[in-house]
Amino acid sequence: MTDADLLNRHLGGDPHAFSEIVRRHRDRMWAVALRTLGDPDEAADAVQDAFVSAYRKAGSFRGEAAVTTWLHRIVVNACLDRMRRKSVRPIADDELIEAVEREVPATDHAGEREVSLEVTAALKLLPPDQRAALVLVDMMGYAVDDAATVLGVPSGTVKSRCARGRAKLAPILSHLRNRSDLTRVSSGKGAELRDG
Amino acid sequence: MTGDTHYDLEVLAELAEGLLDDTTARRVREHLAVCDPCGESLADLAAVREVLAAMPVPAMPLGVARRIDRALAAETPDWDRIMRDAPWDSAPQEIGPWETAPWETVEPLVAPPVDTTAETAVETHVEPEREAAPVAATAAPLGVVADDGTIVPARRRSGTRTAGRKASRRRAWALPAAVAAAAAVVIGSGGLATGLLSFGDSPSRQVVSQGDPGQSPAKVEALTYSTYASGHNYTSRELRGPLLGYFGVAPGLGTNDDEDLDTCVKRFSTELDRTPIGVDKALYNGNEATVMAFWEDKSSNAVRVVVVDSRCHKLRPEVLASWK
Repeated sequence: MTDADLLNRHLGGDPHAFSEIVRRHRDRMWAVALRTLGDPDEAADAVQDAFVSAYRKAGSFRGEAAVTTWLHRIVVNACLDRMRRKSVRPIADDELIEAVEREVPATDHAGEREVSLEVTAALKLLPPDQRAALVLVDMMGYAVDDAATVLGVPSGTVKSRCARGRAKLAPILSHLRNRSDLTRVSSGKGAELRDG
Repeated sequence: MTGDTHYDLEVLAELAEGLLDDTTARRVREHLAVCDPCGESLADLAAVREVLAAMPVPAMPLGVARRIDRALAAETPDWDRIMRDAPWDSAPQEIGPWETAPWETVEPLVAPPVDTTAETAVETHVEPEREAAPVAATAAPLGVVADDGTIVPARRRSGTRTAGRKASRRRAWALPAAVAAAAAVVIGSGGLATGLLSFGDSPSRQVVSQGDPGQSPAKVEALTYSTYASGHNYTSRELRGPLLGYFGVAPGLGTNDDEDLDTCVKRFSTELDRTPIGVDKALYNGNEATVMAFWEDKSSNAVRVVVVDSRCHKLRPEVLASWK
């Protein structure tokens, strides 16, 4: 059953349909919120607000975009609202590590935790718009056009935000450039850019 | 541009993203061919993408997933309670409020000739939310209030979904309104009847009628608490405390004159068996909400926080917060 079918069932009164949508997409929504906000508590609040909001306004879904895109948009907006409304408290490192490690199978890379913290801290230095664009495109691997739909801005704007964001991050993260455990999962685009 | 002059990272990032016009792009590429530092910068930019792409994608922690499930369950009309709050006896369905959709448990029944006017509402009975005192009532027909105020039988869940079910879900919400309207008549003659909807631990119902001499006004109106109307938009984090800054800085308004709110506060007071420190009519995550704070343990600075909407339905699980 597609997401759109489930949403229709939800609108028709099926009490289990929306739960299934949540079950399918919660990990991805969580990842987006956690990366964007850099704070598990804030991310939890944002994702909860977003799902409740989606539940309530399911009727406003017009079907022009995929349900996932629609959900992403609601989650990202919830995150951006939070970032703009107030300054998110400084990251509590151990909390984030804990949140990440709770669900991610432990790997043997001793430096992974440090890298994760460094990246999270670096992302927090960016303006919310740039951060959201980089989370979607570089971290979550979405196509620029999809990210543009989620963010509700032209593709060129997403590219521009990504470019400016990367330019700010480059001096901070450049020392991680030659880590072997990064190249194993480097993005195609990254490799292309690097090699070509 | 060669020698000691280099392109800044933003220009190089724009080049990589294809944002530069052809002429500029060509110039930058020519420079890159002869400038090692700028080539290094370009590689640094590529590394940023790699580092970001290599970040693990964490799964949602179970606690967060459960919390969201609960929040969504709270969005679903709680038929069990609605039916129990109805001005006629109802057959309590002993199910957890979130376990089963109510319309899966409602039998197809013929509606009784129920009159929802004030005459039948002298007996008003509302259960505390917890299931400690189940009512051993006889199985009585259940129904929903139609748009015209008549009672129509609730329908069993059918295999096909129709728009009708949604409509019936909406109609079901008319029930508490009918109860409130009926109760208001009783309240009207006796002033602010804070004891009207009382929630004792006993399964016996509280009978309140107009001019009932058996009810001591001093007893039923004993609950006093401070109310505020800050209109503050609380976040989950703020509600974890400290709350002193929200409740303790200004004197409250005394007992409130909002009967629905008072009924709601009394309900939780009785349930928790204590008087609130304060009640704030405010917002929670942008939604209208009433925030009640009760001492959990004064010596350890612990406050129990209850957040409800205008229908006295909890907007979030009760949590403990700090006071100061």
